[in-house]
Amino acid sequence: MTTLRNQGAAALPALRRFSRSTTMTLLCVVVAGYVGLGIASSGSFLEGPSVRTFLQYLATPVLIGLAQMVALCVGQLNLAVGALGGFSACLMGVLMADHGVPAGPAIVIGVAAATLIGLLTGIFIVATQINGFIVTLGTMTILLGAQYRLSGTRTIDGYSDTLRDLGRSAPLNIPLVFLTALATAALLAAFMYRTVAGRRLLAAGGNPVAARLSGISTDRQIVLAHTVSGLLVGIAAAVATASLPGVNRSVGGDWLLPSFAAPIIGGVALTGGSVAVLGTVLAAFVMRLIDSARAQFSLDPSWVNFLIGVVVLGTVVGGRIHQTRIERKITAPGGTSSAQPRGAARPAAALPSTKGAR
Amino acid sequence: MKTAVKPPGSDTARPTDGARPAHRLPFWVNQQLGLLVLIVVLAAVFGTLRPAFFNERLVLFPLLRDVSTLTVVALAQMVVLSIGHMNLAVGRMAAFGAFFAGFGYDRLGLPLVLGLVLCLVAGAAVGALTGWIIARTGVNSFVVTLAMDFALLGLVPLLYSACTENAAFTTRPAGLAELRSSSLADICLGPVCGSPAVPQVAQFTVLALAGLAFLYYRTRTGRELLLTGANPAAAELSGIPTGRRVVLAHALSGTLAALAGFMAAVGTGTFRASIGDDFMLPSFLGAVLGGTLLTGGAVSVVGALLGTTLVGVIRKGLDLLGVGLESLNIYLGCVLLLALSADRVRTVVSYRKVVRST
Repeated sequence: MTTLRNQGAAALPALRRFSRSTTMTLLCVVVAGYVGLGIASSGSFLEGPSVRTFLQYLATPVLIGLAQMVALCVGQLNLAVGALGGFSACLMGVLMADHGVPAGPAIVIGVAAATLIGLLTGIFIVATQINGFIVTLGTMTILLGAQYRLSGTRTIDGYSDTLRDLGRSAPLNIPLVFLTALATAALLAAFMYRTVAGRRLLAAGGNPVAARLSGISTDRQIVLAHTVSGLLVGIAAAVATASLPGVNRSVGGDWLLPSFAAPIIGGVALTGGSVAVLGTVLAAFVMRLIDSARAQFSLDPSWVNFLIGVVVLGTVVGGRIHQTRIERKITAPGGTSSAQPRGAARPAAALPSTKGAR
Repeated sequence: MKTAVKPPGSDTARPTDGARPAHRLPFWVNQQLGLLVLIVVLAAVFGTLRPAFFNERLVLFPLLRDVSTLTVVALAQMVVLSIGHMNLAVGRMAAFGAFFAGFGYDRLGLPLVLGLVLCLVAGAAVGALTGWIIARTGVNSFVVTLAMDFALLGLVPLLYSACTENAAFTTRPAGLAELRSSSLADICLGPVCGSPAVPQVAQFTVLALAGLAFLYYRTRTGRELLLTGANPAAAELSGIPTGRRVVLAHALSGTLAALAGFMAAVGTGTFRASIGDDFMLPSFLGAVLGGTLLTGGAVSVVGALLGTTLVGVIRKGLDLLGVGLESLNIYLGCVLLLALSADRVRTVVSYRKVVRST
């Protein structure tokens, strides 16, 4: 988790330690869970084919979690993640199966369509000033209808074999789709942490007023965030199309809740201004581990949702308790730093003064 | 138009104006009036195109039964929106409540009314727990209710599979079948009988509407809820126990959601885990179309009824016109976005007029 204020700010080592520990905790949980599952399955979970299935179904959760994270970082919510993904997946499938479009162009068209819809959503939000929550609720309804109209009740599976081979291929037992997701995450991290545009997104999310005063158009950042979110959903749809046996109208139906769970467990604040690319990826890992454990011990699938709910609740409550303890620690020794913890509770309350308007 | 002119509508039309924003707006900006006109016009259009639209037993009765249930769902959302929170777990709380009603009838052999009480208490308990977590930790309500949604999504099927063989309670206590199919036509005062279009389950909706209207427009607690939503800090400073009000709002929301779950179960005749699966979208549609602000501080009890009725009329009308299920969602989403943009334009235009005249 990076917030703008702790960019090289040595004054807040406590916050930084905490932010580091979120990712560290997740990493420990992932490693411990993985080893634990390996022992429980007497080693078969650590063998090639199991690793391959594990990673194969991890690609989509990672990508949709990142798509939601980008929207969250400017303080927006994207409820249309599942519907948009399902729509683009069905669009790709229909283009390939019914219109004979080759796999490459079909994927490009699908991803471009998702990006365009994200762009239009952003423009609509900015133009009408309606809450993004409601607008994406509306686009979600429209896209669900569009997806149903495209696919109907059938399952589209008559598309190119090369794409399917690509989706299944796994050099060294690491699936190509998972590598795609990792590469996308790395690119997104570079964009967020290293480019001016990425820092602007964070600035606009952290404190819109300060961002506007320092010459950053918050409207443009909202449009950009929704466009990038759409692009990531498009990639997730392409991955789903490649790795699933066929696409139908149920694709994307169960994406919405996991897309929120991953960034929230990963340590992204809903108020905007913070991103955690690695945290989100690791959170997707944790959720996939819960799912694998469920399959390993052949429990009812409902346990997965129940456990994820408990994990999310535990994460937010635990994080809050941790934060209050840090606040108390800071306030206890001297009254001088009493203003700090208030700001620490809300990420990125201040902007680096280097980006002045004039 | 029977659908629009419900008794509670006339009761509360006057006090509604009190909840409007501080600046006086001309009467044509009144959202409720616009909705009412829209409903009447649409019903007239559908009625002329398809005279079957006014068939009391086959069209209006099921339409009003759906509207009754979904209005309660919208009210459940409205109560939490009034304090500036959200409840993403409406549908799951409905399923949770319905489980206890079914459990009471099937296992404990409770009569109809006691089962309903058990259902409402269960809903209130889960709602209060959610509210308590939010109030104690200060975590965003979106995250907490999302996690609650996950947890209940897993828990409810687990409870059903633990208590039943085929994942549903089918025992029907005396009076349930009558409640399901009887309308006002079965209640006669001498020679005068009611309309066969109004279902008997609507009595719960009328009760909920009247109760909430009284709470928000006539009692101190209701005012305190609104103030908590408008400005939590100011509310806290003026001596309102905001934490307790948050718990109260969420408990009320859980109760109403459970009531809606009970009504949905009465409508289908069985108590299943899938009750409430499709509640989230209508809950926001009804409340927001009706004029309740997402930011909190303003509610419209009648608006929730009108918004839900509008959606119901559009759905039924398009269905009768032969528009397929797949296109229905597209139109509904477009209507939502159009209605909200039109509302926005109206408010901005009238606000400018007011500003210019002063």
